[in-house]
This record gives sequence, C-alpha cells and structure tokens, in this order.
Amino acid sequence: MKFSSLTLRTFTTLHTWVGLVAGFALFVAFYAGAITVFHHDLPLWQSPHAMEQPAQTLEDAQRLLDGVLERHPEARRHIGMTFPGAETPQSVAYWQDAKGTWLFAWADQYDGSPTAPQAGLAELVNELHYTLGLPVAGIYLMGMVSLLYGLALLSGLVIHLPKLLGDLFALRPGRNLKQMWQDAHNVIGVLSLPFHLLFAVTGALLCLVFLQMAALNPLIYDGKLLAALPAAMDTAPIRAAAGQPVRPGSLAMLHARAIAVANDQGQARFEPAYLKLANAGDANAVIEITGDGGVSLGPLGAVAMDANTGQVLHTQLPGRRDANHATLAAAYALHFGEYGNGLVPWLYFALGLGGAFLFYSGNLLWIESRRKRRQQEQGRAQVNMARATVGVCIGLCVAVSAAFVSVQLLEHLAPAQADAGMRWTCFLVWGGCALWAALRAPWQAARELLWAAAIVTALIPLVHGGMSGLWLWTSAQRGYWPLFWVDGVALAMAIGFAAMARASSRRALHGEPNSVWSRPSPGNALS
Amino acid sequence: MWARALAGLLAGFFLAAAVTGLLAWLPPGPWQSAIVPSLIAFIPAWMLAALWAFAFRTGLRAWTWLGGSALAGFALLWLLRANHWVL
Repeated sequence: MKFSSLTLRTFTTLHTWVGLVAGFALFVAFYAGAITVFHHDLPLWQSPHAMEQPAQTLEDAQRLLDGVLERHPEARRHIGMTFPGAETPQSVAYWQDAKGTWLFAWADQYDGSPTAPQAGLAELVNELHYTLGLPVAGIYLMGMVSLLYGLALLSGLVIHLPKLLGDLFALRPGRNLKQMWQDAHNVIGVLSLPFHLLFAVTGALLCLVFLQMAALNPLIYDGKLLAALPAAMDTAPIRAAAGQPVRPGSLAMLHARAIAVANDQGQARFEPAYLKLANAGDANAVIEITGDGGVSLGPLGAVAMDANTGQVLHTQLPGRRDANHATLAAAYALHFGEYGNGLVPWLYFALGLGGAFLFYSGNLLWIESRRKRRQQEQGRAQVNMARATVGVCIGLCVAVSAAFVSVQLLEHLAPAQADAGMRWTCFLVWGGCALWAALRAPWQAARELLWAAAIVTALIPLVHGGMSGLWLWTSAQRGYWPLFWVDGVALAMAIGFAAMARASSRRALHGEPNSVWSRPSPGNALS
Repeated sequence: MWARALAGLLAGFFLAAAVTGLLAWLPPGPWQSAIVPSLIAFIPAWMLAALWAFAFRTGLRAWTWLGGSALAGFALLWLLRANHWVL
C-alpha cells in the first residue's frame, strides 16, 4: 500500500507523540495487567495456610447467605454471592447498604466489611493496572490513555504498512542497534496487533463506559438507554416485590436446577460461579445464576429462576443468547483472558509483558533517533526522557516486586498492617526509584535499577519460603501449584532482570560511545 | 497538527456517535437488541475518525469532512426514524 510522504510524516509525528504521552501509563497497565492475569493465585500465595483450608461447600454458602440476609435488611433487596469453587474457594457475599456503599461478608464474618477479604496484593496490582494507583480520576485517565493507545496502534500500522510484509520476520542484529530495536518493536507490534487492538477497545470501554453512555444517550438512544440496559446486560427479569414473605428455595436446589437447565440447553458443562438475588424472602424473589459454560468465546452464561420454586424465568447461555449478551460475554472474556484452556492465561501473560516491551522500546527508539553521534554531550530532552523511562518503567518493576516481598513479611510479622504496609512500600519504592533515576546518569540508573529489580524479585520466592516454609520444591511436592508458579515466575523474572542489567553494563562500557547509555570515557569528560 | 487533533476529538466524536446510532438502529429488530454491540463499536469508530482527521492537509479540511460526515450520518438516522423505516 502506498501513501504520500507527507501523510507518512504526519502519521509518524502522530505515532511518536501519542506513543510518548500514553506510553508510560501503558507500560504500567501492561506490566501490572500481565500479573493480574493470575489474580486468583495471588491471594493463595499471600495469606498463610490458604492452601490448607478445606474448600467450602454449598452448605457453607447457604449459611453465609442466610446469616447476611437475616442481619442486613438492605441486602434482601439485592445481593450477590460467589459460589465456592476452584477460582474462589471461599464464598463472598456483597451488597449495597442504605448509602450505596458496597459491603462484603464471608465465612463467619456477617457484619459487612467495606473491603473484600484477601483483597491485598491482587487488588493492589489490579488497581495499578486500571488506575495507576490514582484514586477517583485514575480510571478516566486510563480510559483516555486507552483511546490514545488505539490511535498510536492505528497510526503505527499506517507507517509500517508499506514495509509490513517484507520486514515481518526481519530482526537485524549487528552494528546498527537502532535497526534491531526498530525491528523488535515492529515485529512485536505487528504479531500482537489483534491482541493490542482488542485491549485498546475493551480497555477504553471498561474505563469510560458510564461517561460514554451518558454522552450517547441523548444523541442516539433517545434518552431511553438506561431503561433498556437491564434487559441488555442482565438475564433475570425485574419483578416488583409482592410484599408477601415466603420460605425461599435452598441454594442446593437452585444450584442443581441451574446446571440441569444448562445441560438441557446443550451446555455439557456448567459450573455456577456467582449468583444475584433480588427481593430475597419475598414471594417474587428472583435469582440469576451465572456459570462457566465451557467451549465458547464468551463462556459465561446465566440462568434466571424464581428463587422460591426454581421455575425458570429466562436464560442467556452460549449458543442460545441474544446479540447483547453474546457480545458482552465475549468482550469481557477477551479482555480478561477467561476463555479457552489453561494456556490462554499464559499467552496473555506473555503478550502483556510483550506489550510493556513495546512501550519501553518505543521510548528507547525516540532517544536513539535523536542521538548526537559525534559528541558525548547529549540533548537535555533525550537525557530526561531516558531518566523518566528508566525511573518510571523499571522503577515500577522494582516497586511491584517490593510489594510482594513486603506483604509476605507483614502477613507473618504484623498481619493487621499488611495491606497498608504493602501499599506504602510499593509507592515509596516507586517514587524512590524515579528520584534515583532523576539524580543519576541514565547509563548508571538503568544498570542499578535493573539490578535492584533482579534482587528484589529474587527475594519473592526466598521470603515466601522463609516465612511460610513453602519453598519452590515443597510447593511442588504438595501439589500447591498456584504457589509454585508465583514463586517460579518470580525467579524466572529475576533472572531476566539480571540478564538485562548485565546487558546494560556491557552496553555502557563497551558499546558505541556518545549516547545517554554509554559511560563517558575519562578523556572526553573534560573536553 | 493541533487543529486536526481537535477535529478528530470533537467532530470525530460526533461522527463516531452517528455511526454508532446507525449500527444500533439499522439491524433488524428494535435498537434495544443492539445496545452492547453498538456501545463497543463506538470506541474503534472514534479512534478511526480521529485517525482520519490526520489524513487531511489542514485543520479546516478535516473539520469540513468529519463534521460534514457526522451531519450526514445524523441526517440519515433522523430520516430513517422519522419515516419509521427502522424500529
């Protein structure tokens, strides 16, 4: 495909600036997002003895539901609860109090806590992923970053299109380092383009959907969008309370009914994951049971029933659902990697780290293409960009690993302070790394922060083993695979950081001189 | 560059909204049955509209083309609905 050189120049400028503006936030989103893929495993790793607790049964879930409904009248209007299962071994119930605040209850804790149980580490990493850790405005900021990300992807595609096929499998290592970085940036960008477009779209949607609906409602939906949403998003019909108390059906009966209905509709497998219950205890109580339906791009389907009799009111199951529910389930599953078999999360993890590399290498390319090859002194903008890239990006890697290490220590030494302590550690270490990078020369900061990342990440399996007695091999022996993989991946990443630190050292000492990444030779420093 | 960026941001928003409206109203059946697909489609539509703005030499041309297309889209949507050709 041919474009005029003027068009190509415009799109190159667009790609560069949109990429630089959004790139830092996207690095954080992708690095934290890659770890968030394993958000079910992190609580097991974080809390001591989580693996030894017996999985809960439906009776435990029934007791929790009854306990909460008895104590909290406002939960009777609407309550959600997870079923005990492989992903959530312990049931959690959640509802809104009179003021609209979400409350959580679990095990024998029926009072209602404003924080979910074991939210800790998994929640911190998830918050970094979709808000950068910024309260309130963070999510909207990330929504706009996602839009810019889409623009960067599309403009990058336009620039690269004329050479796309010819250069696809070209990775030219050698004297021209910029060419190699450019090749790596292009090949990762092109091969993972569908994945990246998917994230740009679903990421923007997840962050901005409420603003988007508010803006589009009067323009194209006649102001009737909000009234139409429940039918488009939920499965259960809305029924007004009859004001007549009735003895509710048991969870065991409703659970079995939902599975039987799904089987009848061609779902060979249906594992109830969570329920939504409206008007509990009333004659018109409605329950919606959502479950994993197996082989589909959007595997989550739902069965809505009368909560007292188990009579089916409506279903939205894979293969038999309307366009709204099919696209919603698919968009959700595609963003969170919750479809396909057990390899999909690992693919998402790899692509997430690849995405982080894409933004990091983009910044490096910006610096490299503005390098002054004939003098040691580099431009102020290039030096600052190098410092910011190292401080923010590698600093984040150090900070996330520090959060893992600190939460593991605190869970054993001062459990009450675990959550706050882990957050302080994470953000103080991140700020400290950024400050360090601001004060040192880029070639020094890169090397030092990469070594810091390697050491702190290597501490993750060591501190976990030391504190809980569960070393890599003990976890493997006992079949505690979630713990084994968290520690194992940390070890692999520590080795990766160490390799990068060594490469940075080599580049600083023996690579081409006259760069922000090279050590100034003593003779030149004076001239 | 900035004039075109603004055209992509604002005129592009309305163009994407018009495309989203057509996507919601044109398929068979009531518009309510295409709410989620249309809400999803709005995002790439806005991105592509913003990208299109940069294909023009000047900000004025970008505003003219994107704004004109948005108006045409909304006019078509209004025409379809005023004549009850869509539900």
